[in-house]
This record gives sequence, structure tokens and C-alpha cells, in this order.
Amino acid sequence: MNPSKIVQEFLEEGRCEACPVVDMHAHFGPYQGIYMPAHTPEAMMAAAERCGVEAMVSSGHLALVDMGLGNAEMATVTEAYPGRWYGYAVINPNYGREVERELALYDERPTFVGLKFHPSIHQYPLTGEGYEAALGFASERKLLVLTHTWGHSPYDSPSHLEEVAGRYPDVTFLAGHSGYGEFDACMRVAQRHANVYLELTAAYAVGGLLEEMVEGVGADRIVLGYDLPWFDPYYAIGCVLMAHLDDGARRAILFENGRRLLDGRRRI
Amino acid sequence: MVGFPPSGVRVACANAEDLLREMDWIGVEEALVYHAVMAHGSPIQGNQLVLDAVAQRPRLHPTWALLPPCTEELGRADALLEAMRDGGVRALWAFPREHHYVLNRLTMGSLLDEVATRRIPLLVPRGQGWNIIAEVLADYPDLTLVAVGHGPWGEDRLFRPLLERYPRLYLDISRYELLGGVAELVDRYGAERLLYGSGYPYWGMGGPRLMLARAAVSEGDRALIAGGNLKRLLEEAEL
Repeated sequence: MNPSKIVQEFLEEGRCEACPVVDMHAHFGPYQGIYMPAHTPEAMMAAAERCGVEAMVSSGHLALVDMGLGNAEMATVTEAYPGRWYGYAVINPNYGREVERELALYDERPTFVGLKFHPSIHQYPLTGEGYEAALGFASERKLLVLTHTWGHSPYDSPSHLEEVAGRYPDVTFLAGHSGYGEFDACMRVAQRHANVYLELTAAYAVGGLLEEMVEGVGADRIVLGYDLPWFDPYYAIGCVLMAHLDDGARRAILFENGRRLLDGRRRI
Repeated sequence: MVGFPPSGVRVACANAEDLLREMDWIGVEEALVYHAVMAHGSPIQGNQLVLDAVAQRPRLHPTWALLPPCTEELGRADALLEAMRDGGVRALWAFPREHHYVLNRLTMGSLLDEVATRRIPLLVPRGQGWNIIAEVLADYPDLTLVAVGHGPWGEDRLFRPLLERYPRLYLDISRYELLGGVAELVDRYGAERLLYGSGYPYWGMGGPRLMLARAAVSEGDRALIAGGNLKRLLEEAEL
């Protein structure tokens, strides 16, 4: 049996004092194609507290559809949990004027630590002009940009990420899902660009992948996420804990990297 | 799964020793096992390969893949059942997509009647489609069917009606990641309907292991899901 004390503590207590969790890829609210029994703020926060989440960062499901309504909602929800719940402002590049408005509102939303792009849902390439204003904004402020990435996507494949990561070295990109289905390509992007982190939502489950990521990119460049309220944090955490890694790598992925990325950007 | 599928795994589980080593690392005592050739090649060879792989390893329990009786590739039903008895095989798989057949009464005929009557668990990957599972259950409502590896992207609206209609439909939790999902299924349908599974080596074993360890269910229900239910199903199978 895996002898790690961190692992044993999670199994027995559900959390580990020596290894809190920072969740860099969460959402909020109900959504289209999935039944979610625990999408309220209270249920999400309870789930986070059970497993020792110190902080989490969400983009609203509503914002993926209507960024104006959804970003406002996300700001309100996160402000009720200062220091524990942060937000990304969702950017839909199909609506240029509204993007300008959302960027103008950013400074009034102190829980926001970056931007969220979902080129696949918005059917707009990450490299397209519609993202330029937001990327310039993020670059000036050295923000986080969590972007959905998916292998072979016409909108957000690792090659799209590589192009914008090179153009915007002051933006820290979190490659959501680590380019699922093109993991090797995404790892190469992270190797070539120090401003790219691999984010684990869904990817955590793939057998043997975490070990390859740690060996190829380094444990200090991998952050945890699990699409809360979609997925049970324990599933994601279990994948990291039970991978063939040392405790230093486990702690870096579950906690330290996320905290380091937030520390430079938290306003409250 | 042991063996080498043509694609889809990053690190294959070459043999029983590899599988047992990983089970020991995670804390899994026993497992139902199939061989990659059963799904991705022919069961004619794969069914024997899995017996060879798990021979003399009592923690590993072999499964076989079915084929339609019309071609008699696996022999007649009585011979197949006798071979299962001899090999200690107490559960079956259906891979209709890989093996190019329709999993319904027209194709499977009395073979699945026999499987249902004898309460032999039939494992069907949910990736074959919930409509396939719905069709075979409509034709054989008493079939003991385990839907395996259902995906994480919200399938409750697809499978819950089937759980409600067919009392011998079971789900494995290998990719059932829904926040609060296990506890809710236990509350509505009973812990008896859920089985621990991993899908290893496609997926790691650790996710469902910790999820189940921390699920908001009673210790009795947790024990059922962890192994009690599968043991019961295998014991119920009449060979």
C-alpha cells in the first residue's frame, strides 16, 4: 500500500493538514448537459471544505453562455467568501463591445484573479483577433488566463496555445485539461514556454499521465482542477495521491503551485 | 485489463504481476480481469489468454467475451457454459461495437436467456451507447447487466430511467465522478446497484478509490460498493 502519510490522512480523515488543496479550475451553477446535485454556493463550499480546499477559482456556467450576466453573478458569489473563493472573468470573443465592458468592470471585481477562455464553446480560435483585447489586458496586469484546451480542436489545441503563449509572455496560461487527447503536444508547449502550466481537470484520470507530466514538465508546473461542481474533488485528489509520485510532487500539484499563482494576484 | 490494446493506454498493464502490483499500491484486494485481445482481437484467442494470465492467482477472477451464437465461434451455449465452469469464469463481457453485432434478441436469441436465467453478470461498456444497453434490457429485462465505465460528463439523465425500470442493472463507479453522485444514487436506488471498478490501465485506480472512501454513505453501503455487491453477483451466477 502507498506508504505516504498524506495519502493515509486523506483516506482516513478526508483532508490533510500538511497538504491543503488549491483548485484552479472550478465553475459554478447549473449547466446544460449535466445533472449536478451540488451546484449551489453552499454545496460547493461544503465539498471544498471537506477535502481541505484553501482556495478555489471559478468561472460561472452562466457566464459561458452570457458573460455579462454570468460574470456579475460570479463576482457576487465569490465576494461572499473572501479569501477562499476567487473568480475568472469569462471572455466571449464573439461579442467585442461586450468584451470591452467586461474588461472595464474587472477592476471593480476584487475577487477576480484572471480571465477564462473557452474557445471550443464559443467556437472561436484562441489565436483569433477577438481575444486580442483580453490578452493585452491580461498581459498588462500579468493575470492568469485559464483556457480550455483540447487535442485536435480547431479552436484550442496545444498549437493554438503555443502561438498565444509566445506572443504574450507576461500572461500566465493555465492549459485547461492539459490539451486532452494531445497530452504530449501540450507538455511540449509547457516545456518551451515557462508561462504555461498544465491544468489537470479530466486529465488526472488518465493512467500513467501524471507521472509523465512530472517527469517531462516538472511538478512545479502542474495545477489541480476538477470542474467543481461537476466532479467530486476526491476523485481528482485520489488520482494525484495514488499516482507514483513523491510527497513533494503531490503537495506541489495539490497546493503549492496554485497558491503561488494566486499569491501574486489576489486583491482580497 | 491485462495485455496491450492497439491504442488508448499510456502505460499498458502487461501481465498479472503488473496488475497485482498496482492493486497492492492502491489497496485493492481482488479484481475481475479481461484481456485486451478479448475486446480488440477475437474472444476465440482472448478468452484463453485471460485464463492463462490469471492462472494460479486467486485474487484475479477471469471474465470472457461473448459473441453471437449464429456463427458458433465460441461453440454452442451448453459447451460455452461448461467451459466457463471449467475455467472459473463467472462473468461475461459484450463488446458489440468491436465485434460487429447487434446486442439484441434477434442476434443473441436464447443465449442471453440462458445468461439471464443463470444470473451470469454481463458487463457492457457504456461507451457502446446507453441506447444499446436500453435495447438489450428491453429484450431481456431479467438480465444481470453491469454498465461499465460510464462517462463523467453527466449521464444521469440517460441511465437513471434504466435503473428505475430494470432491477438487475448495475453501475460501476470507475468514471462516475459526479459531485455527490454516489451518495445520491445510494439514497435513491440502494448501494446494491453500485460496484467499485477502475478501468485500469486506461484510468488510474486512485480516483474511485478515494472517492468511495470519502463518499457520504454508511460504512455498510461503502463495503457493498467496494466489493460486497460484486461478490454476491458472482456467487449468484449458476454455472
